[in-house]
Amino acid sequence: MKKMEVLINTGTTAKQVFHEKNGSTLKNDYRQVAAVVYMDPRDMEKLSIKPGDSVDVKTKWGHVTLYAKKSHDAPHEKMIFIPRGPWSNVVVSPETYCCSVPTYKGILGKISKSDKDVLLVKELINVNYNKYNNSNSESANDKPVYIKMR
Amino acid sequence: MTMLEYDEEVNNCVCFCCGNNCDDITYLLKDKQIVGIRNACRLGASKVVCHPDQRLLNPMIRNEEGILEETTWDEALDKVAMLLSESIRPLLYGWSESSIESIKKGIKVSQLTGAVMDNSSTIYHGTTIQAFQNVGHPVTTYGEVKNRADVIIYVGTNPMSDHPRHLSKFTAFPKGFFRQGGRKDRQVITWDPKFTNTAKISDDWIQFNMNEDYYFFNALRTVLKGQKIDDEVAGVPKDKIMEMVNIMKNAECGVIFLGLGVSQTLSKQRNADILIRLIEDLNSYSKWSMLPMKGSLNVGGFNVALTSETGYPYGVDFARGYPRYMIGETTTIDLLNRREPDVFVSVSDDPVIQFPGYSIKHLVNIPVVQIGTTWGPITELSDVVLPSTNLGIETAGTVYRIDSVPLYMKKVVEEPRNCHSHEWIFIELYKRIQQLKCKGDN
Repeated sequence: MKKMEVLINTGTTAKQVFHEKNGSTLKNDYRQVAAVVYMDPRDMEKLSIKPGDSVDVKTKWGHVTLYAKKSHDAPHEKMIFIPRGPWSNVVVSPETYCCSVPTYKGILGKISKSDKDVLLVKELINVNYNKYNNSNSESANDKPVYIKMR
Repeated sequence: MTMLEYDEEVNNCVCFCCGNNCDDITYLLKDKQIVGIRNACRLGASKVVCHPDQRLLNPMIRNEEGILEETTWDEALDKVAMLLSESIRPLLYGWSESSIESIKKGIKVSQLTGAVMDNSSTIYHGTTIQAFQNVGHPVTTYGEVKNRADVIIYVGTNPMSDHPRHLSKFTAFPKGFFRQGGRKDRQVITWDPKFTNTAKISDDWIQFNMNEDYYFFNALRTVLKGQKIDDEVAGVPKDKIMEMVNIMKNAECGVIFLGLGVSQTLSKQRNADILIRLIEDLNSYSKWSMLPMKGSLNVGGFNVALTSETGYPYGVDFARGYPRYMIGETTTIDLLNRREPDVFVSVSDDPVIQFPGYSIKHLVNIPVVQIGTTWGPITELSDVVLPSTNLGIETAGTVYRIDSVPLYMKKVVEEPRNCHSHEWIFIELYKRIQQLKCKGDN
């Protein structure tokens, strides 16, 4: 599989904030706007990636599968943009250099085409953090799971 | 097209979404429920079109099987009070959608429990605040920008995406007292590594290389001081830099808006440092000032409230009984990276959306309390969930706009039956923790 070294840039997009504010983060709508990576069309050509394909992004801090999308802000070859969210957080650097702000922009990473599925928020949390030993097959969907008061 | 049916209009409301706090929002009500919204952008309308199945409506505690179970307020508050009073290093993070009134109650709880109190400045504009402390605060207000500014520069920020009404309501497009032509009388310039939506509607776009921003800002200052520079700095040709400095020198009134593209890159606070120094130098020729583009509703207000109460803007540690503030030591990400906190309270913000994964991993090992309005990624890691109200819709309160202008937000509709405001929650927590402490002393 062809790999490319890239600089990772994360940031806010209107669509992603819209879903965070209206509380639909567990749903597929949020995955479609936040679990994406905006790439320069020339980079996509080099790696034979089409819009909508799954790609793996890997850094020193972790790896995550995302949907590839054509960037509207090109040209920015060898730089990819991931909207801020649970997916981008897996790969960003926690290093604050004693300045309180972690390094969200300009992180070195590798990108390649993938055959894995992009996870929903709940699945992603179970895979990466797994606080309550939830298995992905049963509990992970886009509905809140809780016990109602009798 | 069918006409929207409504029986009441509530005018001049303040928007609750981003730091711009647009104050011309109209809510349309039918049977005391919001059915429409006027003047708001896509983000401003987001909470009105919210998903009812994702709203938190009752307090919840996680049971032994790891599933959240609804409970009464008494039980949930007692549990949180117990967690906070027993913990050695509690961390109260969030507050960006809390009013100044509730932040003050939060400070009291932090003092009582010896907690660290921090907000999202710590991951967004913390470095800009450090630069203000290092160099100075060349501040302005939106009124001045609207009425006077003829050169507006956006650095590492894309307000067309994250502050959608910023250009149309406050800066580039509106007609001002000295700028009767509106957009025609102003020059809008964007400095960004990407051709962002803001760059697309700007008069000029300067693309500098990522992580070389500091070189570029320094080169501008060097040229302004009459020194020589290389033919190309940070990917920007020398001529372009000379032209830029010329525009800035000859402006009648200029403003630089800086965003997370300045504060979150490798140069951290040095980026804002050098921009402030540039503004200092430019003021020998013309009138220049700057504003950081803060993201959430009341991020700036938290800094103002905490500074007036404790003397420090964010990341304040009450562990020794008096406020301490040390960047890199008492700030959230550094605390989490060192695996220090033993209780984490998330107030209205969602750390799983905001923090790096390595820092979030510590939340797996400690009790987490969520105080919020909707189900989100942090709910999946929370042990206690307290449902709160939306500020500016269901609760009234004071917030500060990004230019530090205080605005009062009205109450528009009644809150859901079993939800309470942050202020009420922290008053109740304070009472309960105090009772526990008294019992412990006896």
